[in-house]
Amino acid sequence: MKKLIGFELKKIFSRRLTQGAFALVLLLSAILGFSTYQNKYAFDGAGREGTGKEAVSIDKAVAERYAGTLTDEKVQRMLADLVPKTGENEINALYIYHNATQSAVSTRFADRYGGWNGSTVADVFGEGEVTIGYVDGWLSTSRNLVKILILFSLFLMVMTAPVFCGEYGGVDQILLSTRYGRTKCAGAKAVACVLAALLTTVAVLALNLAMAFTFYGTEGLDCSILFAQLTYIEGGIPFNITCGTMLAYQALLAFTGALGVVGITLVFSAACKSPMVALAASALLYGLPVLLPVSEVSPLFRLVVLFPTYHAQFVSLMSVEQMGGGALYALWAIPAGVALLAGGSVLARGIFAKYQVS
Amino acid sequence: MELKTVGLTKRYGPKTAVDHLGVTLTSGVYGLLGQNGAGKTTLMRLFCTVQEPTSGKILLDGEPVREMGEEYRSLLGYLPQHFGYYPDFTALDFLRYMAAAKGLPDRTAKKRAGELLEAVGLAGESRRKVKTFSGGMKQRLGVAQAMLNAPKILILDEPTAGLDPKERVRFRNLISAFSKDRVVILSTHIVSDVEFIAEEIILMKAGRIIQFGKPQDITAEIDGFVWECGVPTGQAERYAASWNVSNLRNEENGTTVLRVIGERPPVAGAARVQPNLEDLFLYCFGGNEG
Repeated sequence: MKKLIGFELKKIFSRRLTQGAFALVLLLSAILGFSTYQNKYAFDGAGREGTGKEAVSIDKAVAERYAGTLTDEKVQRMLADLVPKTGENEINALYIYHNATQSAVSTRFADRYGGWNGSTVADVFGEGEVTIGYVDGWLSTSRNLVKILILFSLFLMVMTAPVFCGEYGGVDQILLSTRYGRTKCAGAKAVACVLAALLTTVAVLALNLAMAFTFYGTEGLDCSILFAQLTYIEGGIPFNITCGTMLAYQALLAFTGALGVVGITLVFSAACKSPMVALAASALLYGLPVLLPVSEVSPLFRLVVLFPTYHAQFVSLMSVEQMGGGALYALWAIPAGVALLAGGSVLARGIFAKYQVS
Repeated sequence: MELKTVGLTKRYGPKTAVDHLGVTLTSGVYGLLGQNGAGKTTLMRLFCTVQEPTSGKILLDGEPVREMGEEYRSLLGYLPQHFGYYPDFTALDFLRYMAAAKGLPDRTAKKRAGELLEAVGLAGESRRKVKTFSGGMKQRLGVAQAMLNAPKILILDEPTAGLDPKERVRFRNLISAFSKDRVVILSTHIVSDVEFIAEEIILMKAGRIIQFGKPQDITAEIDGFVWECGVPTGQAERYAASWNVSNLRNEENGTTVLRVIGERPPVAGAARVQPNLEDLFLYCFGGNEG
């Protein structure tokens, strides 16, 4: 079996389309990560302004001044220090961007002119302790990962689609007449796909996280995701978890999503005669949940978000509810991903075992 | 060992490819002959379990092969008429992969792959990717994979297609040496290949067996129906078009000797000659493509 799995992995990784698609995912990861870093802008309100590395340095320096637990006193200090210097003429202070900390405090605690809006920390965040610091770098990494993981799901379909139906081009006749052609070979294909998916997921996550570590360091990983600048608010996760926890969930969901995508694609790979048809069918099914008219308040939404599409686009799944012990509903993605993989593998194996050459 | 079909039938919609076929095969080399569409390839696929019969069954020593599953397939070696390959695999990788699929231990697989690559004349090309191989080389690699597990039942569909005369001789010798105590079924359009190595001939037409026996026995059935006669070379084509001619041979004296199959002599003075398999084929199929 080990030998068969090894050969199946070799088949998977020797396909030009797979190699090209994976290189594209890595390249886009690098481009997106680097361009996000380069396009960072910050102004400290006292004459220091810059983009890229300088912007990150300014943001970190500003955040450093208020790092630790968020208090009403700190809020007042931030509002006083970071009052908008421009835009007094009817322009809402929330939308005048100076730096990440200014954006975060203005969004929740400022009126349209930059003055205090009367809200306390408890009013905005409840009774829990909110640790603040420089979170902009890791939050932008997380947002980039959403795009990359959706693209990565497509790569997984490209990789998995030919695994069974690639044999239907003529090798099937030989393979299905061999002792293990209909049994262990089919099993080896599924196992090899899972291994390939896990390996490539590790590679994609490693590249993105390594770049983020290089650009932003470890600052902010222990800070709450709640005190984030304006652009992260819309569709944000309403729970007081740290950036590190959020990224850990996102990484976990990258793996569960990969397993689910492989499970779905394996079925189409075994059932379709052409890899292109298998790929198109898998992509269609993958995208389908997004098109379903199920609102976030519907009980069905809790099921729909367990589909792999929402593992990549993880914010909706992470926002469902916080369960006991601080764990999130997103943990249900683990059995969902495993179930899709197991069901898909069993079904694909069954279809291949019964396949008759034509 | 006895491989037997009972009422074996395979239908594709309204077309019957194999029609209530009953045959018993024991050790030996069987040559399967028939026109295109006679059902040869379907029969081989049924033997290899890559297709399920519509009705009927195949028995190995009395046991239905469908129920034997892996046990039956471990005895099989199959070379399909047209087969795919993994373009980025080397010849050695391809054989080792197939050996793994056949359940051979790794050490045995390496040894057998080396021996067979040598036997089919590809020893020097074992590290070359299959996508760089010519059609004949791929065919030889196909023959090698079929024999990897030293199968008790070897089924070869058009194994000599694409092979040059030297390779065909090598193949015939390989099969002859291999066939002891095994069932070898091979189909080919090249009747002479079968004539050389097959101990029994199976002639198929419209999904049924119309002749089955030793070459000398079945050709004896048309003893007296094969003639040779000389005609002027200029008129040879006209004669060939109107008779069932298996061969034309130009002589130096301006005549062409025709080998004609028919129940009566084509012309007065035609000489009766010993029939061969090609004559039988033409007799059965009326000179259509074989």
